[in-house]
Parts: sequence; structure tokens; C-alpha cells
Amino acid sequence: MNPVFFFVAVAAGLVLAGLLFWALRGSSQRKGYGAGSAAVEHAPRDLNHMPQIRQAMDASDLEFAKAKAGLQLQTRLRRERRQVALLYLAAIRRDFEQSLRVARVIAVLSPEVSSSQEYERIRLAMIFRWRFQMTKARLLMGTIPLPQLLSVWQMAATMAVQMEETMAKLGERAALAAELALQSEK
Amino acid sequence: MSQLPISALIIWGSATALTLFLLVQIFLLRAHEKYRLFTAYLCTNLLQTAVGVYLYRAYGFKTPYAYQVAWTTQVIVVMGRGFAAAEICYRILGKFKGVWGLAVRIFIACGVIALISTLYFGARSYQLAVITLDMSLEAFIATCIVGLLLFARYYAVPIEPAAGMIGLGLGLLSCGKLLNDLLFERHVQSYQGAWNFVSSGAFVGILLLWNWVLRKPATHAVQEPQLNRVEIYQSLIPQVNLKLLELNRQLSHLLQPEPPKP
Repeated sequence: MNPVFFFVAVAAGLVLAGLLFWALRGSSQRKGYGAGSAAVEHAPRDLNHMPQIRQAMDASDLEFAKAKAGLQLQTRLRRERRQVALLYLAAIRRDFEQSLRVARVIAVLSPEVSSSQEYERIRLAMIFRWRFQMTKARLLMGTIPLPQLLSVWQMAATMAVQMEETMAKLGERAALAAELALQSEK
Repeated sequence: MSQLPISALIIWGSATALTLFLLVQIFLLRAHEKYRLFTAYLCTNLLQTAVGVYLYRAYGFKTPYAYQVAWTTQVIVVMGRGFAAAEICYRILGKFKGVWGLAVRIFIACGVIALISTLYFGARSYQLAVITLDMSLEAFIATCIVGLLLFARYYAVPIEPAAGMIGLGLGLLSCGKLLNDLLFERHVQSYQGAWNFVSSGAFVGILLLWNWVLRKPATHAVQEPQLNRVEIYQSLIPQVNLKLLELNRQLSHLLQPEPPKP
């Protein structure tokens, strides 16, 4: 046997065994898909306060603080804003993951799925996670303008809201269909 | 039988006793109605033991005839395990028709790649061809089970504890046998004695797990899903993907350096 193949095969066997345990972890605690909308719990927050948040993140505010109260206040403000920006970045990720979760619910409850669409979503999610980490690194270095970050978050949050509304409608429709079926049986 | 070391005989006997005990439990709890192919696999295992005992008594442990028949029964047992694995996969994911259809296509493709690559790269001589075939089948089964569990995890599909543990056992058995066969092929002379011991020992461990899991009737029933119309998927998912793409684009713009201000 080729020695390279031997080591690759041994590594593959060990990886497969490890994946078995990892994939099965928490499997019995997963919720069922009896009612589609029940799988979605978290709604995005603070979308209505967007103009105020945007204004608070404006770069001219920092200049104003520096002119009025000096460099120390400007530095403190900048640090605090970075913390806020990190929180918003986390919110972008949360909303993105939420949208992905809803998409998975739709897929798993469909009698047919398209492999290309499913593959595309996995690819997009991987790209997103990579870019998310890059953005976080850049944010920590202070090289990302905060208002732009807010625009991205607004988009992620709007998407999550739309997805949840769609799921709620689907849930209502499913409940209605079940009720009609029950009535016709009587 | 006297040619086999006493430790191997003890493990062999334990495996047979545990298999019998498990089969009794399965029939008492009527779990055979739920896991037909898994039950058939356990029966095949018992039959293989019976054939083995007869062969070694009548022809001895190292005769070519006994070797050929023993390995033929081994191929049947591995195939039985493959069918049992397919049954578990179907029990876990079969309710979700769309995802199941996709999973089957992917599992078969991955499994066939694992099977062909093991057959192609693993073959060294005709004498070891049976071991290579065994390895290929084990790789196929392990890949399919791991693929199924990864799919279930990705789509957050709930798994009945018994089905999950049977799947885990089948997968671990295949991984263990694959590693055992690899070591055997590489160190034929020095590993020959240990091979049988390790293989049976792993099986005893898995049998203990299955006996423990199937000791009482299942109380945790997985909710039956209510599938949507296919049009919902067809209309929503492309839109979702487009939005995700747009979000990625926005994030990409964010990462680009700002143009210098005039």
C-alpha cells in the first residue's frame, strides 16, 4: 500500500470518527418542525431608531467633541463608539444567522430542494463568515467608517424581519390548511 | 477451535452472547418493526458466527477453504451493515423528502468516491484483495453515516436517541474496522493476531452501547413534519440567496479602502 495513502486513510478514518460524535451532539434536544414558524424566535431590534443611531455615529460629532472638550474626550468617545460598533457587528451576524436558519426551515419543509440553491447558500454563508472576521479585525484597528457599518446592519436586520414575516405567514397558512382539513373530515 | 487464543475465544463468545441478548430485547420491545434491516444485520452476524464455528471445527483455522468461506460471509455481513445504515439514514432524514433527495445524491457520490479511491490506492496484491474490498465498503458506510449526521445537524433535524445511537455505533464500527484493516494491510505478519482481537473487541463495545440504548421502549417521539408546497421553496429561496449575496457585497464594500477625500 502506498504510504501516503495509508496516512491519508488513517487520518480520514479518525476525522470521520470525530465528526460522528460532533454531528450527533445535542441531536435529541433539537426542536421538531411541527409548526414552521415556531422554529423562529428572535426578531431584529432597533430598526426604528436608525436615524438617531446614524446621527450618533457621524464623524462630525467627534470633531465637535474635540473642538469643545479637547482630545481626551474625543479619544474616549472614539473608544466607546468602537465598542458600540462591535455590538452592531455582532447584531449583523445574529441577523444573518437568523435569516439562514429561516432559509433552512423553508428548505427542510419543502418536498423538493434544489442542490444548486442549497450549495449557493452554504457558499454565501462561508464568504459572509470570512468577511465578517475581516470586518471585525478592521474595526478593531479603527479603519472602518461607522455609518457604513450601520447601513450593512440595517440591511441584515430588514432581511431578517422580512424572513420572519414570511415564516409567520407560512405558519398561519399551514394552521388554516390543517383546520380546513379537520372541518372537511367532520 | 484450539488454534485460537483464549482471549479471542472469550471476546467471540461475548459478542455472540451480547448479540443474542440484543436480539431478544429488540423482539420483546417490538423494535424489529421499526429497525427491520438492523435486526436482519444482527441475525446475519449470528449466522456468520455459527458458520465460523462449524468451519473451524470441521476444517481447522488455517485451511484455504475455511478462509474463503469465512471472508465470503464477512462480505455478506458488511453488506448487511450497509443496508442497516441506509435504514437508519432513512429513519432520520426520510421524513423530509426534499432534503432526503438531496442527501441521497450527495451520500452516494461521496461514498462512491471513498469506495473507488480505497479500491484503487489500497490494492497491493490479490491475496489482500478481500481486505481491500472490506476497507472500501467500510469507508463507504462510514462516509454515508457521517454525511447523514452532518446533514441532520445543518438542517437542525431532530434525531430519536435510539436511531442516533444505532447510527453512531454503525459509523464507529465502520471507522474502527477501516483503521484496523489499514493496519493489517500495512503490517500483515506482525498484526495478524491482533487484527481479529481488535475487530471483535470493537464490536463488543458497540454491542454494549446498543444493548444499553435499546434496553427500554422509546419515549422520545420525534414530531412528524408538515411539509409545505414546493412553490414556496421555489419562490422564496432564490430571493433569500439574492439578499444574502447583496449583504455579502455590502460587507465587501465596507472592507474596501475609502477613496481619499478632496
